[in-house]
Amino acid sequence: MTVEAEKPNIITSSLDFLVNWGRTNSLWPFPYGTACCAIEFMSTEVGRYDLSRIGSEYVRFTPRQSDVLLVAGTITYKQAPILKRIYEQMAEPRWVIAMGACACSGGFYDCYCTVPGIDHIIPVDVYIGGCPSRPEAFFDAMFDLQKKIKDESYMKQRAERVKDQLEMIKAKTAEAKANAKAFAQEKVTDIKDFVVEKEQNLVKKAQFWKE
Amino acid sequence: MTAENIFSTLEEKFGAKRETLDKWGVTAVVSPAYLHNAVQFLKDSAEVKFDMLVDIAGIDYLTYPNHEGPRFAVSYAFKSIKAPGIRIRLKVLVGEDSLKVPTISDLYANANWYEREVFDQFGIVFEGHPDLRRLLNHVEFVGHPLRKDYPAQKRQWLSTNDYLLPELEKRLETLGYKVIQRSKEVEPNNDEFLEGSIKA
Repeated sequence: MTVEAEKPNIITSSLDFLVNWGRTNSLWPFPYGTACCAIEFMSTEVGRYDLSRIGSEYVRFTPRQSDVLLVAGTITYKQAPILKRIYEQMAEPRWVIAMGACACSGGFYDCYCTVPGIDHIIPVDVYIGGCPSRPEAFFDAMFDLQKKIKDESYMKQRAERVKDQLEMIKAKTAEAKANAKAFAQEKVTDIKDFVVEKEQNLVKKAQFWKE
Repeated sequence: MTAENIFSTLEEKFGAKRETLDKWGVTAVVSPAYLHNAVQFLKDSAEVKFDMLVDIAGIDYLTYPNHEGPRFAVSYAFKSIKAPGIRIRLKVLVGEDSLKVPTISDLYANANWYEREVFDQFGIVFEGHPDLRRLLNHVEFVGHPLRKDYPAQKRQWLSTNDYLLPELEKRLETLGYKVIQRSKEVEPNNDEFLEGSIKA
């Protein structure tokens, strides 16, 4: 082993595998804690359960640097626009975990002010039951999310994205060409009109001088 | 018994009536016109000075059995720090047609938010209140949810966050600060209102 490691090596793998490997093992959560589920998340994060064992090393309190939006707690209608904005601020790729009964379905708050499940506002990848959920359940959800990420294909997504961009560029160039054509035609007709006018003027002048 | 004296004074001076249905016998019904004076009397010149306003509660009697009279009521609970055993509750009956009660936020500072909450949940207007806005519900919320005829499961989509900067600036100005320049990001942006907004 040591001898092999000293020599220069070549490792072959697919890019998908490498990217997914990196993504699964560095899922940084953004805790959106509004109720008691956030307390369970805190105990998941610290020493006894230690979420950093599976690579969720840091809890990022900014949506720009996090991968997983962890909605832990009741979401009211007054809070819903804020949650949506935070989701929109997160960079791709992003995943959402709905933790606990309240975030999944509104829980026992069947009233005018509670959102019946955050999937009415943002797409959710993994749901966790419980009121509040146990840290073990949270780990289970993280493993599920890791499995889901391993199935994703970065290259396919990229190809689709490139295809979309290509189509967009084609459409834009076609539009620009049509615009330019229309503009040229307008100019040509303008010039023709101008020439015709001049000719008529000249003819008028000639007739005037003849008379 | 001092509470009885206070009640008799309330009955004499402010035309209050003892509520017979009250199990504890501490409630007096006052008309809205006398409310402010009655509260001032309780706070300043009663035998036991009621210097603490415990709560203001709105009541909707729409589905209440065997109720006669106006639909709404506002109930004020008072407590004395010196004699904590004595409590007094004043009740004001509010008809559906007027919905107006004089404010007592000039006497008790905490009445400000209590009255805002009652306004938010029941739609009762407190006349003379310095800043009568919704407290718990969203600015775009339509209706008053604790009224009995509001369907409890009726949900309303709201599209934006509350814009609280004007209130904040007002408060800063009372503290002696002055707003010279405002960042462009904090200005309300019409693009930020989501689909279904009342503004869009």
